[in-house]
Amino acid sequence: MDFAGMCARYLRTQLGGDRRAALQFIEDALRHGASPEDVRCHVVQAAQREIGRLWQEDQISIAQEHMATAISQLALAHLFQHAQFRDRVGRKILVACVPGEHHEFPARLLADTLDIAGYDLRFLGADVPLDSLLRAIDSEHPDALALSVTMVFNLPSARDTVRVVRSRSKQQVPIAIGGGAFGTTPELAEGIGADLVATDAQGFIATLDGFLGVRA
Amino acid sequence: LSAEPNWDLESREFALRCGPDGKVQWRDGRAANRNMKTGDSFLALAVPGTEEKLSGFFSRALKHPLSNVEQSLVIGGEPVTCFFHARPDGVGGVLLLGSSMPEDYSKSLRQIEESVEEMQNLNRQIFRQKREIEEQRNALQRTLSELEDSNKGITTLHLELEDKAEVLQRTADMRARVVANVSHEFRTPLHAILGLSRLLLEGVDGPLSVEQKKQMQFIRTSAEELGAMVDDLLDLASAEAGKMVVRLQKFAAADFFSALRGTLRPLARAPELVTLRFIEPDPAITLETDQSKVSQVLRNLVSNALKFTERGSVEVAVTTHQDDVIFTVKDTGIGIASVDFDRIFEEFGQIDSALQARVKGTGLGLPLSRRLAGSLGGVLTVTSVVGAGSTFTLRIPRVHPEVREMHAIETQPLDPGRAPILVVEDDRKTIFIYEQYLSMAGFQVVPARTIADAERLLRTVSPAAIVLDIMLDGESSWTFLSRLKQEERTRDIPVLVVTVTNKEQKARALGADEFWLKPVDRDQLIRKLRSLRAGADARVLVIDDDDRARYLVRKYLDDGPYQLIEASSGPEGVAAAHDHRPNVILLDFLLKGTTAFDVLDELKADPLTRHIPVIIVTSHVLEAGDRERLARQTEVILSKDSLSRELAINRIRDALSKAGVGGSPVAEAAS
Repeated sequence: MDFAGMCARYLRTQLGGDRRAALQFIEDALRHGASPEDVRCHVVQAAQREIGRLWQEDQISIAQEHMATAISQLALAHLFQHAQFRDRVGRKILVACVPGEHHEFPARLLADTLDIAGYDLRFLGADVPLDSLLRAIDSEHPDALALSVTMVFNLPSARDTVRVVRSRSKQQVPIAIGGGAFGTTPELAEGIGADLVATDAQGFIATLDGFLGVRA
Repeated sequence: LSAEPNWDLESREFALRCGPDGKVQWRDGRAANRNMKTGDSFLALAVPGTEEKLSGFFSRALKHPLSNVEQSLVIGGEPVTCFFHARPDGVGGVLLLGSSMPEDYSKSLRQIEESVEEMQNLNRQIFRQKREIEEQRNALQRTLSELEDSNKGITTLHLELEDKAEVLQRTADMRARVVANVSHEFRTPLHAILGLSRLLLEGVDGPLSVEQKKQMQFIRTSAEELGAMVDDLLDLASAEAGKMVVRLQKFAAADFFSALRGTLRPLARAPELVTLRFIEPDPAITLETDQSKVSQVLRNLVSNALKFTERGSVEVAVTTHQDDVIFTVKDTGIGIASVDFDRIFEEFGQIDSALQARVKGTGLGLPLSRRLAGSLGGVLTVTSVVGAGSTFTLRIPRVHPEVREMHAIETQPLDPGRAPILVVEDDRKTIFIYEQYLSMAGFQVVPARTIADAERLLRTVSPAAIVLDIMLDGESSWTFLSRLKQEERTRDIPVLVVTVTNKEQKARALGADEFWLKPVDRDQLIRKLRSLRAGADARVLVIDDDDRARYLVRKYLDDGPYQLIEASSGPEGVAAAHDHRPNVILLDFLLKGTTAFDVLDELKADPLTRHIPVIIVTSHVLEAGDRERLARQTEVILSKDSLSRELAINRIRDALSKAGVGGSPVAEAAS
């Protein structure tokens, strides 16, 4: 399937600010046999990366970026409803953006993917203050914590978060880290001190399954 | 001048000139208001994460003019979105005109973004809940269908069980028959052996030598043992077939013990080594149960105890506890290991031991005893210590449970308000069940446990219906049924045939009005009996030549469950009685051309009308002789002077109840 072409067309409707057309486009893609998974990764997520690049190059404004992201959030909700949910594995994952990280979208995408893959989800969203994160760990008793870092300048915050969680949470919880910040240089993750590194959502599920010993 | 407003403070725009290194070389007053200083780096104003974006913009602006480029700068400690116009200043630097976006807009944008995120969260939550509900519903559906499956399974199992039960019943019946027949066949030659050996021993045909006598004695003892074994087998077989007949009688424990002592004493083989002791019972202990069965059990227990006790004592005692009587047989014999407690009660379940090998026994005594105990409503148990002795305990109700219950049913007087139902059924428990079913519905059970009982009862009672259980040996029941339907007197009584096996065709052919397989459904039974009863009102024949008198009786009986037949003369009345067989006859003492005595004589001469109760109605003062004569042949003499509706109905009811005919229970309940 020509995902690159689909992504480009989706991006055009997105930047045109026509959310109905964007949803219609996704509906059509699903009807023509694309899996919700493919559409999520190769169309919506890819378009979102392109939006970031366009903003970086001054080709779109912040307002346009927000509008496009809002449409993609809608697309994600739509795809979530169409997903083929796998059997529950009975493990709970806490997904959060590190303090200072305002890019919620990639974390949301990971949360959806995990949920569809059978994990129980607690999604804390963007820019989660450390105290809130610690409280959530202590009350929810997750089987793993997944931290999302999109901007490179949030790497020190990620490192601090891992350190604080390790020293202050009552329960020892495996920590996974991933996101756009490691997109070009995965080696950056090494200094963070996490147990697992996720580069893309699908690959992360395989890693997590193995690590937690589910679906053996 | 001071009145002129300083618009610089309100302006969203500011101007800068920067060198190629990005250092601010000049700024206007508005930029100064925003705390931008010459010598500072313009590039350092970038919001964290946008450094690359800002420097990219700056290097492009060094080369050619740009307009309306959006950048994020940290101004006054806050991130602010600014739009820039830029162009090279011709000396390697760049001129910049910035315009900041109103803070409100940025904040609104942020708010909107956060709202979207929260709504996304809500959306996922709702969806998750929906999914959970669906899963629960599916689980419920699965459970339901599983339940349905297992329900079907149970139904099938039930049917199979019923089939199996029937097969088992048949097998058990056959086995019992075979055992009974075989045992019987054994007995005939055994009796021949016993008889002939006695003849030989008595020396009828010449004396035997000492050795021959000894040998003949052995033959005789062996034959006697074989005989005992055959008897036990027979008993056991009939117990298994459920045919153990309980003969109940009252007796005192003391009398019972002294009789038992007499029969058991000879069993003691070595009285000098083993004492057989009967503890004198409390003279107040009396029982009402099957004495022969109690004695059979105790004989078994004592003879066992004597067999397995080489020295010491065997002690028989009886005590009571509440409503139970407890017999104990205690010995000082070899004892039984507790692991064998169950085995000794199994057929041929003897224990291997040295003594065991020496003593003789059929291996049927204890199993039979236990069954006998069961038929007495009690239990037979054992406690024992190996080497120290055993104690067997027979605990039975002082009064056999059936005594009270049967007594209550059998001696129940016929209640004219309840229709009598003759239940022919050999099983007492089943009779109790019928009694429970029917008494609540206004019927009265008249039990007959044998065909002979039923026939005897039918001579005095006219039941509203007969429930006939075709018993195990079915032939006599079938004959009874066909006889019922052939005889004129009983032909009209509805017969409900109930059996364990499907014999509907046969039952119908012999005239059964209804056929059911056991177990009988309570509601179905009551419904059927009621419908059979409907319209079966008591028939009352009035013989009176006075139209007014007949009219009066008709009016009296108008609303009741009675069907009136009228006759205006003696001969007409006799004919009507023969044809309609009324349940009661009201006879006028003085008829034209005939007397009540003539009519009575004719009625009593006819077997069909002989049993019908007659009420004499008269307006005369009867002479003593007449009165006496009438009293012998009739139920009651009523004076027409004092006749009233209540009196007439009461007398008719009395007469009917004596004849065993009650009013319809439904009509009774309604009136």
